[in-house]
Amino acid sequence: MKNPYAQALYNAAQKDGADAKDLVARLVKLLEKQGRSKLLPSILQDLQRIEARNAKVDSVVEVAHEKDSAHALKEANALGIHATKTHTNPTLIQGWRATAQGKLFDRSAKRSLIELYRNSIAHH
Amino acid sequence: MESIIKKIEQEIAALTPTLREEETGVVRATGDGIAEIDGLEGAVMTEMVLFDPTFDRTLEEALKDSDQIYGLVLNLEEDGVRVVILGDSSKVYEGMRVRRVPALAGTAAGEAKTGRLLSIPVGDELVGRVVNPLGEPVDGKGPIKGTKLMPIEREAYGVMDRAPVNVPLHTGIKAIDAMIPIGRGQRELIIGDRGVGKTTIAIDTILNQKSEPEATRPICIYVAIGQKESKTARIVADLTEAGAMEYTIVVTAPASSPAAFQFLAPFAGATIGEHFMEQGKDALVIYDDLSKQAVAYRQMALLLRRPPGREAYPGDVFYLHSRLLERAAKLSKEKGGGSLTALPIIETQEGDISAYIPTNVISITDGQIFLLADLFNKGQRPAIDVGNSVSRVGSSAQTKAMKKVSGKIKLELAQFRELEAFMQFASDLDSETKKRIDSGQRMTQMLNQPQGKPLPFEVESAVIFAAVNGYFDSFEPSQTSAAEVRLQDFLQREAKDVLKTIRDSKVIEEATEASLRAALDKFVARMAPKTEATPDAKADVTTLEMPVEAAEGIESAE
Repeated sequence: MKNPYAQALYNAAQKDGADAKDLVARLVKLLEKQGRSKLLPSILQDLQRIEARNAKVDSVVEVAHEKDSAHALKEANALGIHATKTHTNPTLIQGWRATAQGKLFDRSAKRSLIELYRNSIAHH
Repeated sequence: MESIIKKIEQEIAALTPTLREEETGVVRATGDGIAEIDGLEGAVMTEMVLFDPTFDRTLEEALKDSDQIYGLVLNLEEDGVRVVILGDSSKVYEGMRVRRVPALAGTAAGEAKTGRLLSIPVGDELVGRVVNPLGEPVDGKGPIKGTKLMPIEREAYGVMDRAPVNVPLHTGIKAIDAMIPIGRGQRELIIGDRGVGKTTIAIDTILNQKSEPEATRPICIYVAIGQKESKTARIVADLTEAGAMEYTIVVTAPASSPAAFQFLAPFAGATIGEHFMEQGKDALVIYDDLSKQAVAYRQMALLLRRPPGREAYPGDVFYLHSRLLERAAKLSKEKGGGSLTALPIIETQEGDISAYIPTNVISITDGQIFLLADLFNKGQRPAIDVGNSVSRVGSSAQTKAMKKVSGKIKLELAQFRELEAFMQFASDLDSETKKRIDSGQRMTQMLNQPQGKPLPFEVESAVIFAAVNGYFDSFEPSQTSAAEVRLQDFLQREAKDVLKTIRDSKVIEEATEASLRAALDKFVARMAPKTEATPDAKADVTTLEMPVEAAEGIESAE
């Protein structure tokens, strides 16, 4: 079970204009007031766990060929994916794909070809 | 050929992939058929998710292993979901991407904009096939076409959509049709130890539907849960040989299949049955057996870290069975008048019907057929314990003909069971007790029925009529079974018209009764041992009593 303080702190830190130093100071003050200062180490541990988990679902844009980077980033930004660089993944064959905030945006030829293959064998 | 390849190459070169947006998660941990997934915040209970092995593979690798592995969301947690893997769990690995599957347009899930709830294909094309709980064929007869998808978890019909159970479902087993009648839309539990004939009753019921007119013949669905594949194969072979697969569907989740399949199989059977019920047809679904489903559910619940309750079953094991069995119904005319009859089977340990799962299912169902190992070992087939067996709604569905002939059987047999212990002191018994014991023995013998030989309803009625009216009294109690078999043969040869009248009218009117009595007199005159008493009931009493009284007189004189 995750520490609700850690989750609340993480959520607050994600908001635009959030000041991390101020948030931590306010949390420490609140815990002292409630006599729960002993929770601080476990809050830190859980915060690190949340960070690590979200790193897995961080925004990543992959392109099949490096020359498509600019175009892919432009399309991804239009979809609300805030990434500044791309990774080259030749297995995509053509196009790009991005993962951000638990969502997958896929405009790669690999996916289309796999589906084409599955549909064709399903009809035989 | 070259031109085709060139064309395909051109098509691929010109391919402009379309953009797909999907919610995904990542497998955090996996083991024992369960996967913990980070993400998938929008997933709902019983939603399907797709494990995507193609995400981090090359196209070539992905095409080599193109089997898709689905999962079923069963735990919604704060930071992710727990999913039961419906397939080869060894192919699921940590870090694997998992996608939600979009709902089909036009379905309730589609309108609610949730993912696709676990659904299976249903339709007339399933009849005669053997499928797994996902509706995929496992009989090697090729794909099943022309089906539609229905979610396997559905809410049962409400009070206003239902009608009272009033149409009989004949099992072809004399003891059941006479004493524990089953109606279409009823839920009747078959309960007993292992190897006492539970499955036999269910299979005989399926076989007997062949004698029903095609228009009213129920579609039968046999759901094998945690059974040996050899047993299921034998059942399918028997049904095929008897021509019963023409109206039967087998759903199998063998003992070797994952617990999730064994948990899902009954729901798949209910969904297939509901499809036919909603078309205004009758359907019969047999869950063989729900004890194994409960065990599979317990395994899943423990692996999903749900708190264990009594006998380590999860707290909602009652709801598991109640929501399944509530789906059996007789629909109102407005809803098409179809029905779904359920015959769940429960295996007991040492005849203990007061264990957790048996009591749960007994309280949910509309009655139970309790089979006793002792009776089975004594040679009684089916080994029904009449005292503990009951049908709560079936009597209103019983035909008038059967009601008329079977009125006193249950009471007589119950009295016989009480007196049975005294049988070994036969020589010391008074005439009344001895007569009762003889009559009970004859009745028990008459109700004996070999496996795989269900009887049409009219033959059952005629045979029970003969037994109740003393036509077997001229035979030794031990010879009643043989005499009964001869009577069936005799009636089908020489009283065809009488049987037809009973079958068509479903009643035994005065004229029919007279014809039946005449036929039975003829049978007794021809078949009964000449030295024995006449079959006339009133005459019997005196003629049978005389020798006993005489014997008593001799004994007292000594």
